[in-house]
Amino acid sequence: MFLFAVSIDTDPELLLARILDGFRFGSGYGALALALVMIYKATGVLNFAQGELALLGIYIAWALGVGWGWPIFLAILVSMIATAGLAAGIERTVIRPFDPSNHLPLVIVTLGLFLAINSFVAVTWNTDLKALPSMFPPGDVFSVGVAHLSWSGLGIFLSALAMLGAVNLLLAKTKVGLAFRAVSSNLESAELVGIRVGPTLQFGWALAAAIGTLAGALLVPELNVLDPNVMLSTLVFAFAGAALGGLDSPKGAIIGGILVGLIRSVVVQSVSFIPSELSVGAAVFVILLVLLVRPSGLYGSSKVVRV
Amino acid sequence: MTEALLHVANLEASYGEVKVLHGIDFTVRKGDISVVLGANGAGKTTTLRAICGQVQTTGSITFAGAEISGESTADIVRRGIAHVPQGRGTFPELSVTDNLEAGAFVRRDDEVAADIDKWLDVFPVLASRRDQLAGSLSGGEQQMLAVARAMMSRPDLLLLDEPSLGLAPIIIEDLFERLSAINRTDGMTMLIVEQNANLALAVASHAYVLEAGTIAISGEPEDLSGDEAIRRAYLGY
Amino acid sequence: MRPRLIAEGSSTHRWIQGGNWTLTIVVMIAIPFLVAIPLKPTLFGNSYTIGISNVNEAIAWAVAVLGLNILTGFNGQLSLGNSFFVGTGAYLTGVFVQTYHWSYLSTLIVVIPVCLAIGLIVGIPALRIQGLYLALVTFGLAAVFPSIAKLEQLDRFTHGSNGLSITSKLLPPSWMPIQGTLDLINKIPIIGDWTGTDHFSKRQAEGIYAYFLLVMIAGACFLLAYNLIRSRPGRALIAIRDNEIGAEVAGINLSLYKAGAFGVAALLSGVAGTMLSIDKNFVSPDDLGVNFAIFLVVGLIVGGSANLKGSLIGGFAVIFVRQWASQTNEVPLLGWGLSGPYGQMVLGVLLIGLMFVMPGGIAFGMQRLRQRVYRVVPAGPPEGRTDD
Repeated sequence: MFLFAVSIDTDPELLLARILDGFRFGSGYGALALALVMIYKATGVLNFAQGELALLGIYIAWALGVGWGWPIFLAILVSMIATAGLAAGIERTVIRPFDPSNHLPLVIVTLGLFLAINSFVAVTWNTDLKALPSMFPPGDVFSVGVAHLSWSGLGIFLSALAMLGAVNLLLAKTKVGLAFRAVSSNLESAELVGIRVGPTLQFGWALAAAIGTLAGALLVPELNVLDPNVMLSTLVFAFAGAALGGLDSPKGAIIGGILVGLIRSVVVQSVSFIPSELSVGAAVFVILLVLLVRPSGLYGSSKVVRV
Repeated sequence: MTEALLHVANLEASYGEVKVLHGIDFTVRKGDISVVLGANGAGKTTTLRAICGQVQTTGSITFAGAEISGESTADIVRRGIAHVPQGRGTFPELSVTDNLEAGAFVRRDDEVAADIDKWLDVFPVLASRRDQLAGSLSGGEQQMLAVARAMMSRPDLLLLDEPSLGLAPIIIEDLFERLSAINRTDGMTMLIVEQNANLALAVASHAYVLEAGTIAISGEPEDLSGDEAIRRAYLGY
Repeated sequence: MRPRLIAEGSSTHRWIQGGNWTLTIVVMIAIPFLVAIPLKPTLFGNSYTIGISNVNEAIAWAVAVLGLNILTGFNGQLSLGNSFFVGTGAYLTGVFVQTYHWSYLSTLIVVIPVCLAIGLIVGIPALRIQGLYLALVTFGLAAVFPSIAKLEQLDRFTHGSNGLSITSKLLPPSWMPIQGTLDLINKIPIIGDWTGTDHFSKRQAEGIYAYFLLVMIAGACFLLAYNLIRSRPGRALIAIRDNEIGAEVAGINLSLYKAGAFGVAALLSGVAGTMLSIDKNFVSPDDLGVNFAIFLVVGLIVGGSANLKGSLIGGFAVIFVRQWASQTNEVPLLGWGLSGPYGQMVLGVLLIGLMFVMPGGIAFGMQRLRQRVYRVVPAGPPEGRTDD
C-alpha cells in the first residue's frame, strides 16, 4: 500500500512536456495573481472573492459565446467590462464604507462576496459541467515526442506578459496610474495632493476584476471543465504565485505564478512520493514557506507587516 | 492692511467624542507668514487638518472669500491650499520626480515639467537624487521634497505642520531660510504650525498661541517674543 | 421608555435567572420530541421542514463555531481553515467506527489528542504569520483538506470522493425514558399536538438519543470554553487580541498562548467533526472544504464574535438559513421562484449586511434589546441610597 520509494522521472521529453505545461498553467495563475496584487497594492486587502468575480465573468462569457453564439473574443471582452463595472459597484457600496486601515471587516466582506457570487453563479447557470471555447486556434506550434507547445499555451503566456506590460505602462505613464501608486504608497498624502482616493481604489477594483476575468477565461479552456468550483483551486495557486512574487509587485505576480505552475507540473509530477492530488497542497506549502522565510517574496517591497 | 486669504471663525473640531478645538478664530492675510505656536496636544495639527477637511468640524472656514468647511479634501486642494503634513508625508515608494508630479495632480496645464525643473533648482539636493525613491532620502531631504511637492500644485496658501520636527538644527535653519525666501520671491502665503517658537517667530508676520484648543494670545511676533511673561509661559525659552 | 433597573443578586434578579434556566432546560428537553417527526410549516406557499437532524447538525456546528470563536473571536487570529480540524475529527470518527467498529463516543479518545496536536502544530508557524497572512495560509489549509481525504493511499479508509458511509447505528439505551417523556408531552394541550405521534419509530428514537448525546457533548464544550475565557489563560488570550505587544511586555508568553488557542480551537473543531459524523452517519470530502470554513466565519460573525452565546446562535443560523433558503421556492411580493443552492447567497449577503448594521452579531443585538427592557446593575449600598 504505502509505496513511498523516492524516484524522480528524468526522461528529457517528459520533463520538457511538464515544463511547457507549467508555463501554460502558471501564466494563467500569474494573471489571476496580478489581479490579487492590484487590490493588495492599493488597499492592503487580500480579495478572497477575486476568483469568484472571475468565475462570474467566465460564465457571462460562456453565456454570450456559447449561449448567444457571439465570437469568443467579443464575449470575453464584454464580460471583462461587465465584471469591471460590477467590481466598481462592489467597491462603492460594500468596501468604501469601511475603514481602510482595519483589514478584518474588509476580509470578511470579501468572504461574503465569495459565498454570494459563487452561489449566484450556481443558481443562475446550474452546476452542470460546461465548456468554454478557447480564444486560440487548436493545434501545436511545435512538438517533440510527448512534449508539445500548443497555440493556446503560447497564447496564455503571451497574454500574461501583455497584461503585465499594460499594467506597468498604465501605472508608470498615466495620471490614474500615478494616483494609484500614490494612494498605495501613502493614503493620507494622496488625499492632500488632491487625489480622490475612493474613485482611484474603485478603478483598481475594476481593473483587477477585468484582469481576473481574462485570466480565468484563458485558463478554463485548458482545464477542460467549467463548473462553479473551478476557480477555487486556481485561486489558491494564484495566491501562492502572488505570495511568492511578493504580494505587491505586478512583475512578481506573473513570475511567481509561473513558478507555482512549474512546481505543480514539474516537481509534483516528477517526484514519485508526492501524490498528484496534492498539487493544491504544494501551493499551500509554497505560501507557508514564503511567509515564514521571506515574507516580502521575490520582488515585494519590504514594508510587509500590514496587519 | 492687506486682505484676508483665510479666515477661521468659531472653529470646533473633534475626534469622535473627544473635542480638540473649542471655537478658535484667526486670520491669515495674503502674503503673510502666520505661525501657530503651542505645546503638544494644544490642537495645532488638528487646526491644519480641519482646514483641509480631514476632521469633523463646526464653525466657519473661509478661503479666498468662499466657505470651504464641509468640502472634501480633494476639493479643498483644488481651491489652492497645499498641506505639508507632519512627518513629511512623502510617497516613499515613488521617485523624487514622481513625488513632484503627484504634487501637481490637480493641475491641468502643460507647465508641470517646467515646474519640476524649477523646484529641483530651488532644492539642488533633490536634483541630484531625482530618480531615487523618496523613502531613501534623509529626513531633511524628505522635508524639502515635501515642501517642493506642495508648491507643485501652485497653491495660494501653504500649510506646514511642524516642518522642524526631527531635523538637525542646521537643517532647520536652512529650511526656514528657504521658506522665507519662497514667501518673498513667490509671494506665497503660509500658515506654519510649530513648537520651535524661536525660529518660527523669526520668519513670521503674525503669530497665534494655541493652548488646549483655544487661542490664548495673538499678536505681532516682536510683541510675543518681547514679552517676558508670554515667553516664559508659552514659548518656553 | 427607560429600562427597568434590577439590582444584581436581588430577588427579582434571581427570579429572572432561575426562570431563564428552567425555561432553557424545559425547551431543551422538549425540542427533540417536537421535531422528531419533522414539522412542516408552510409560509407564502413554501413548505419548510424542521427535523431533528437539522437541530443535531446545528448543535455540531455551534461547537465548530465555538472553536473558531476561541481562536478568532477571543484571540484575534483569523483562521479560514478550521474546516480542516472539523474534517479530521469527522473522518477519524468515521474510520474508527466503520473500519474498527469502535463506538461513536469512544472515538473521542483519538479525536481529541490528534486534533489538539494538529492544532498545536499549525499554531507554531502561526506565531510568525499574522493577520491577513494567517488568513491566507489557513485558507490554503481548508482548500487542501478534500484532496487529502481523497488520497489514493487513504482510499481504503475514506472511500475517496464517494465519501464515507457509517453503517453503525446509535441505539438508545433501554433506560432512556423516551416513550414516557413523549406521553408526558402529549398530555400538554396545544404543544402536545406538535409531536404528531403516540409512539416513535426506531429511527426517530435514534435521532432523539443522538440529540441528547450531542447536547451533552456540546454542553461540555461550552462549559470548557466558559471556564477557559473566565480564567487567567482566557484573559491572556483576550489581552493578546487587544494589544499583542502590550500583552508580551506584561509577561504573557505569546507563543504558548497563541499556539494553545490553535490547539483548543482544533480540539473543539475535531469534537464538532465527531458530532457531525454522529448526526449524519456520512462524511463527504467535498463538504469539508473552503465553503465549510467560510460558513464557520459566517456563523462567528452572525452569531457574535467573542461571545459564547453567539456561537450557539451562529451554528443554528448557518444551518437553518441554508436549509430555509433552499426550501424557499417562491419569494413573496417578488413572485419569482428561486431554486438551487442559493442559501449560500443569502448567508453571503447576510454576512456583509451584518458588518454594516450589527458588527457585534445577533448575540450583541439581543443583549442591547434586552437592556432596553431591563438592566442588571450592581447592588447599591445597604442604606438604599439612590443615585438617579
